[in-house]
Amino acid sequence: MKCGHCREVCPVFLETGHEAMVARGRVQLLKAFLEGNLELTDGLRDRIFACLNCDACRITCPCGIEVNEVILATRRAMFEAGKPLPDPHRQLRERLYGEQNPFGQKRAERGAWLPEKYRMPRCAPLLLHAGCAISYANNRVGKMVLQILEMAGADFTLLGDAEECCGDPILRLGDLDGAKRQRERNLAEYRKYGVETIITPCAGCLKMFKHFYAERVDKVPAQDTADGGAHPSSFSPHLPPFRALHTLELFAEMAADGRLKPQKSLPKRIAYLDGCDIGRHSGVYEAPRAVLRAIPGVHLVEFPAHHESSRCCGGPLMASAPEMAADIAARRVREALEAGAEMIAVACPTCFINLKEGANRAGVKIEIQDVTALLHRSLK
Amino acid sequence: MLSDAVKTRLREIVGPANFLDSLEDRISYSYDATLYQAMPEVAVYPEHAEQIAAILRLANEAGFAVTPRGAGTGLSGGSIAARGGVVLVLTRMNHLLEINTDDLFAVAEPGVITADLAAAVAKHGLLYPPDPASQAVSTLGGNVAENAGGLRGLKYGVTRNYILALDVVTPTGDLLHTGSVTVKCATGYDLTQLIVGSEGTLGVATKIWCKLVPLPEHKETLRAVFSDMDAAARSVAAIIRAGVIPATLEFLDHVTINAIEDFKRIGLPREAEAILLIETDGQRDAARAEAAKVMEILRENHAQSVQTAANDAERAQLWAARRAALSSLTRVRPTTILEDATVPRSRIPDMVRGVRDIGRRHNLIIGNFGHAGDGNLHPTILTDARDVEEFARAEKAIEEIFQLALSLGGTLSGEHGIGMAKAHFLKNEIGAAGLALMRAIKHAFDPNNVLNPGKMMLDANGE
Repeated sequence: MKCGHCREVCPVFLETGHEAMVARGRVQLLKAFLEGNLELTDGLRDRIFACLNCDACRITCPCGIEVNEVILATRRAMFEAGKPLPDPHRQLRERLYGEQNPFGQKRAERGAWLPEKYRMPRCAPLLLHAGCAISYANNRVGKMVLQILEMAGADFTLLGDAEECCGDPILRLGDLDGAKRQRERNLAEYRKYGVETIITPCAGCLKMFKHFYAERVDKVPAQDTADGGAHPSSFSPHLPPFRALHTLELFAEMAADGRLKPQKSLPKRIAYLDGCDIGRHSGVYEAPRAVLRAIPGVHLVEFPAHHESSRCCGGPLMASAPEMAADIAARRVREALEAGAEMIAVACPTCFINLKEGANRAGVKIEIQDVTALLHRSLK
Repeated sequence: MLSDAVKTRLREIVGPANFLDSLEDRISYSYDATLYQAMPEVAVYPEHAEQIAAILRLANEAGFAVTPRGAGTGLSGGSIAARGGVVLVLTRMNHLLEINTDDLFAVAEPGVITADLAAAVAKHGLLYPPDPASQAVSTLGGNVAENAGGLRGLKYGVTRNYILALDVVTPTGDLLHTGSVTVKCATGYDLTQLIVGSEGTLGVATKIWCKLVPLPEHKETLRAVFSDMDAAARSVAAIIRAGVIPATLEFLDHVTINAIEDFKRIGLPREAEAILLIETDGQRDAARAEAAKVMEILRENHAQSVQTAANDAERAQLWAARRAALSSLTRVRPTTILEDATVPRSRIPDMVRGVRDIGRRHNLIIGNFGHAGDGNLHPTILTDARDVEEFARAEKAIEEIFQLALSLGGTLSGEHGIGMAKAHFLKNEIGAAGLALMRAIKHAFDPNNVLNPGKMMLDANGE
């Protein structure tokens, strides 16, 4: 329809003012490409890679165009056509392939943050997938997750040293085979330990489990292949489906049934930011709020755009366009302050890091906390 | 073709950060919300009137076209660079300069988004009434150029009723101030009103003085379902005759209702022939009394059901149907053609029947919805531009819709403008003398035809 309603909600458009940096513009560029009026130029590529994948456009689009799907499919097509990635993304891919995490830190050190008893997996119905951000960049929250689960008496395991990146960053680069490889590696491990439910504090991993991983297990045949020959994937032909939850969903259940009893008061006005991966992409909006409400003294306020309409913090651009990522986060911070918040609570490690940049950029003092950390503080 | 020297000069005028000539950027400024497309050579983002003046003087010297653009969400092709050249994107001139709560006006640059202006003045208990459906993204400058309407048009009027004064850069690069912030002004030709609705062909507004009114204290919302379209139309007439001018009086037809139920499932009765959404506003007692009168009239005219809203949440529910109208229709087929032919209110039943008949004869799906209170309906053709044969039928249907509106004493466009979409039909409405006079006015303002050429049949040789 080219109505342009996406211009109201696209964070990158709001920073740049360039039509080619909004859903309508990107879709029209792709149309020009398909019609032979535009080649696979670096200019096209860079605009496709400047998208946050936040999908706010899909929510506001009157015709419901699945813009994020189009963007990701385009990145896959570019990758398959051999188009070189933009530099920051090429470097990211090198880190991902080199050490299986986006930070480029050593593969062997992935489980180093874990207490010894969790470094080796065992059979358990509940598996905690820590994710790369927790393992390498924010194990403080990871340790809190472990303590909270222990407090609630949960029977859980981790893959520990055997855990691999879920594949989200590499999928978003357009490298479908790379993402599949990560998926197979993780699924092979889950299969060994009889996992029924996976919980994760990482919203990006959650999104992958709910969609990309679920896609794989749904197609699994119930029987051995009839000819007894090799299944197309030699890794794990038979996999039962598993439930995927954000740790906050489990914590909300535990707070509701009394397994967790937050006691210490936190008398603050808190705005919870619905991160894109946990919110629009995974459909989880209420659990983080339920956890916050279970903490005595908490007063929740809402961002002007929230739930499905929430605006991205800008985090996905941290590596490739750090200035813009910080500017977008600064807007979120200012919105929180205008809404009367003293603190922004998040459920995503990317939001956590980038909103702090945003507070610096905005030159304001506001606490940014992970919901898990607030729960942990209240449980002591 | 722009020479390198001209491009260099343009880059100097606006600064390199505000000059775009990559193929990707040019493509992104080649379209609006219609099916028209035309490539500019360059897009520039001026930040000051002086820059615009310099660009237009250069355009006259070097002989290139300049097409002003806001958000590019127009529905008649007004911001399409029909003759190539330079697209003048005004979105960086987006400051709200003043809100005057004594004399009730605001001053804004053309790139201010209409909804942002409305929100800012609402904080002062004031209302900027024109509310086109695109208001969350469209710009004041674009609204001024097209004389944008909206759902409040019946009671409050349209953009032109709210523009007191303008700073304008003329097509020859002169700076002009028109109008006055005074409540009344009887000074010379009303150049303000000539420029409002001139679709970017007579000048570029760089500062806009907007009239504001007090924000109404209270709103009442009603939704009525009719099994008979004539009964709905009679209700509309009866409401006005009873001396009630609702703030909003919207209509949805049978095709639209079913599209909404197909895609949004909000629980509208599929057999309904018409749904009316009505809002009264004003002082609490007055709004309530008017709503009660409306309710009585709806019942007298055999509305199958009437619902009212007791609070904002319920209001949002009643509005959901109207808000879902266009988005539901767009999902029926890949291509949506939104028309705007307007008739006197009393002829609405004939217009609705006539459009339905046109749809039938050309075997097309046409949904009809819009501003029943002011006669401005939006017949919406749902088709597929890739189906050459069907699209040809759609084009024929559009012509017949224009003819139908004119035959009922109506006009080609209530609020979207003529632009490219209706240019070829303009003469049927204004006649040879009207067209000649428009061309003379255009020539007086723009002797070299540099500003937004190729629109409204103003070019002597056609578009």
